[in-house]
Amino acid sequence: MKRFALLTLLGLVVFPFVFHAINGYAGLATQILIVSIASIGFNLLLGYSGLLSYGHAMFYGGGGYVAAIMLIRLMPDQPNLWLAVIGATLAATVLALLVGALAVRLYGIYFALLTLAFAQMVYFVVEQAKDWTSGDDGLQSFPVALLPLGPYNVNLATPLPSVPLGPFGNLGDIKLWYVFAALVLFGVLLLVRALTRSQFGEVLTAIRENEERSSLVGFNAPAYRLAAFAISGALTGLSGALRALYDGTVAVDSLGIDRSGSFVVYTIVGGVQTLFGPVIGTGIIMYLESVLSAHISYWRLVEGVIFVAVIVILPAGIIGTFTKQAAQRAQERRALLARSLQPLSK
Amino acid sequence: MVALSQALLNGLVLGLIYVAIAVGLTIVFGTLRLVNFAHGAFYAIGAYVGLVIAQTWGLPAGFIAAPIAVAIFAILLDRFLLRPFYAKDATSQLLVTFGIALIVEETLRLIFGSTTQQYPVPAALATSFSLGAFTYPAYRLLFAAGVIVMLVLVWLFIERTDYGLIVRAGVRDRTMVQLLGGNIRQASTVVFALGAAIAGLVGAAASPIYSIAPGTGFAFLVPSFVVVVVGGLGSFWGAVLGGLLIGELQSLTTLVFPPAANVIIYLCMALVLLLRPQGLLGESEVIRQ
Repeated sequence: MKRFALLTLLGLVVFPFVFHAINGYAGLATQILIVSIASIGFNLLLGYSGLLSYGHAMFYGGGGYVAAIMLIRLMPDQPNLWLAVIGATLAATVLALLVGALAVRLYGIYFALLTLAFAQMVYFVVEQAKDWTSGDDGLQSFPVALLPLGPYNVNLATPLPSVPLGPFGNLGDIKLWYVFAALVLFGVLLLVRALTRSQFGEVLTAIRENEERSSLVGFNAPAYRLAAFAISGALTGLSGALRALYDGTVAVDSLGIDRSGSFVVYTIVGGVQTLFGPVIGTGIIMYLESVLSAHISYWRLVEGVIFVAVIVILPAGIIGTFTKQAAQRAQERRALLARSLQPLSK
Repeated sequence: MVALSQALLNGLVLGLIYVAIAVGLTIVFGTLRLVNFAHGAFYAIGAYVGLVIAQTWGLPAGFIAAPIAVAIFAILLDRFLLRPFYAKDATSQLLVTFGIALIVEETLRLIFGSTTQQYPVPAALATSFSLGAFTYPAYRLLFAAGVIVMLVLVWLFIERTDYGLIVRAGVRDRTMVQLLGGNIRQASTVVFALGAAIAGLVGAAASPIYSIAPGTGFAFLVPSFVVVVVGGLGSFWGAVLGGLLIGELQSLTTLVFPPAANVIIYLCMALVLLLRPQGLLGESEVIRQ
């Protein structure tokens, strides 16, 4: 636990500097951390309850719109980041509970299509509710939310002090937003790690593997799936709210099918059913997108090829394959050790 | 009254496109148990192949080339990429076919650009039929008739041929068909190519009516999935009923209250999924997978 926490924090501290050295920039690093939270939420559902949602954009975009509308309508004079983010996360949770109550009784393609249907309905309703959402134009220039911390009202757009770091850029490139996003992501990782290792996570996996048996033992399978769906939706809503506040804009794309599909791609490429897979997948794809799209126009084709190649060649994803191989090697070492310790009787 | 009749006819044309795509989806599901998110890509490829060929050799040549090209593409997909996925769960199938759809869409974008294109209605057909109080474009009526003829042929294929027998039996009980020695492997390749060819042909034939862009395949696929779910996955008549229902529903809502036109079909699907998950004409055993 301690080792996990330290290594994760270390990774989050080092990341923007290493990222700079490979042509990334601090703003993109912040966005990657924020979107990773949604991928983690998506993976909680796909990886641990085996449910493929094609509608997670409704929580992501929904969170973004709720945060933006709260700032514009409820607190134009004292924009409070905590309130906006918590409000958006709660709204996403409620939406997830409503959709989930209907969806968790379905499986496979039916579940995927029902979530897609709800996401499409949310998309078109938001697009049509022009008075609140500005329709296709999206919402821009909403009040900059400040983060109240004790006596201070922190503006997360404040950069860190300028310290040149050679090939690793400048400390001053990094804004407080990165620190905040990193802390939130760290908290989410701790939470999800604890969840998947708890009895809740074990029951969820058991239901995924054999629902009938788990139900006969006495677990209420739909209730467990609904809980997973709600947590997944909440994390995705949190991510969407942070992204809207960070970007200072939210548009209907954030509710669209392509958005829902992107979480699928990030999670599968990184490694489903792993803690860090969704983070790594989000990072790799968003990084490649930013770097490649500057040079080649057919970046999305490359993304599609990577995605299919991963599914066909590395079904466990990038992280999943590493950990599987590591586990296999450890087992081989143990077996070798056991054999070498046997008395040479023959 | 005129507006209503026109909306009904528009709904019929749109619904027939959905039916044609949905029939392919549903017969492929019946034999292969494959949930194919790449089926819309067949429509788009057909539309573009048809467009390119028609520009040089005329529309009839385009109508012949499109289904052939798409069928070849489908056979290659089946042979080299999809086979290992037939035995896997629906989620893996959705993922890999979603990836294929992504690749096809972006390849089309790379070749043809992102702009929407439209093949002009051939001069001979660029007239309107007079239907009592109003007129309706001749090409659309001809298109509707053509799709109906094609659907009848597909129905005859399913009902009257040996392959069709395997398809129908496969929907009921796939394992039993294999145990009895039905050559599902070969039949499934034929059915997969057939479903793809239908989508490709409709894509080419519809391109003078609806403009095409690289994303068109996916744009038609999603409502077609709605159609299949509403009608019942695996059911031919379900696809027909669902397609006409969804097409008319969309068209009539556009007439009465345009903002709701895109929501209504998803609402309809959600209701069917919740109240009768196997679909209006579906068999109940296929829901859980």
